[in-house]
Amino acid sequence: MTTDLFDTVDPYVWLAILGVTAATFITRSSLFVLGARVQFPPVVEAALRFAPACALAAIVAADLAFAEGQLRIDAGNHKLIAGCIGIVIFSLTRSIIGTIAGGMLAFWLLHFWLPMLA
Amino acid sequence: MSESSRRDAALRGARELLPLSPGIFAWGLVTGVAMVKSGLSTLDATILSLLAYAGSAQLAAMPLIATLAPLWLVTLTAIIVNLRFVVYTALLRPHFTHLSAGRRLWLGYIVGDIMFVRFTTLLQQEPNHPHKVAYYTGGALANWVIWQVSSLIGIFAASAIPASWGLELAGTLALVALLVPLCRQWPALAGALAAAVVAVLAHALPLRLGLLCGVVVGIAVALLVDQQLRRRASSERAPS
Repeated sequence: MTTDLFDTVDPYVWLAILGVTAATFITRSSLFVLGARVQFPPVVEAALRFAPACALAAIVAADLAFAEGQLRIDAGNHKLIAGCIGIVIFSLTRSIIGTIAGGMLAFWLLHFWLPMLA
Repeated sequence: MSESSRRDAALRGARELLPLSPGIFAWGLVTGVAMVKSGLSTLDATILSLLAYAGSAQLAAMPLIATLAPLWLVTLTAIIVNLRFVVYTALLRPHFTHLSAGRRLWLGYIVGDIMFVRFTTLLQQEPNHPHKVAYYTGGALANWVIWQVSSLIGIFAASAIPASWGLELAGTLALVALLVPLCRQWPALAGALAAAVVAVLAHALPLRLGLLCGVVVGIAVALLVDQQLRRRASSERAPS
């Protein structure tokens, strides 16, 4: 973990930053800048509509399903439980802050408080 | 007269964004903390935030950057997460066509989820607002400032927070909050579930290609379910 201000001279990270920045411009500005009227075929438009949900689900699942590099779909995986609680909280309240706060609280309770009881 | 009313429209755009600022602020803070907790240096996280200005794409790219995944995959992942902006800008485009290309490039760069919703609301209420571009610019700039300030606070506060607190989980929870409302319809929900299962099962693939497999399978499943639902709806409508 690096926390110092000027400690990285890593071209990989800089290129990755440029890649994410390019992604911003490609997805947000290309339709604005292109002069001609762009009409997507219906299938492409539908795929565009579903892509973000699929991408976020894949990322979230890959983040939550693993603890210390091991696949763990059980109650011992505190991140997974916290994520499920986050889904429930958002479905009930539509609150982003509540989802983050409730999920973190659940994680901390499981992680710090439960071991003390045992 | 035009100059001052344009300024008024810009200020109104910023003012009407303010009720939503706690949410933007919390999200920016979490993104800032999560970037540093995933392994980026303070300087790199600052540059990424200032240049990319894309919370969900930054959070999605972080685990890939942390495991030194190939650059094309990092970029592609950020593009896929950002694809919703292609849909937004397709709808916003007609309102900006009279402007210069440079102006449009920069107006596209500041498109965000919240300002898109605000701007569409304004257009529903006042379709012929004379200074809609100023309204949009004012609101989107306010969004940019709130986001960057909160992100920077998160980035610089992160080093004071112990790693054992697991705060990078807050970034994942923020993505959860973005994901759930996208799954309100059956096709998207089916696609998201398929993407999640495949991404986990294919996790052992090199270069974190499991994510990409998940996205491709997920989109295919969503399209199939969408097609089935449409077919059923049209066969119910047509008398047999």
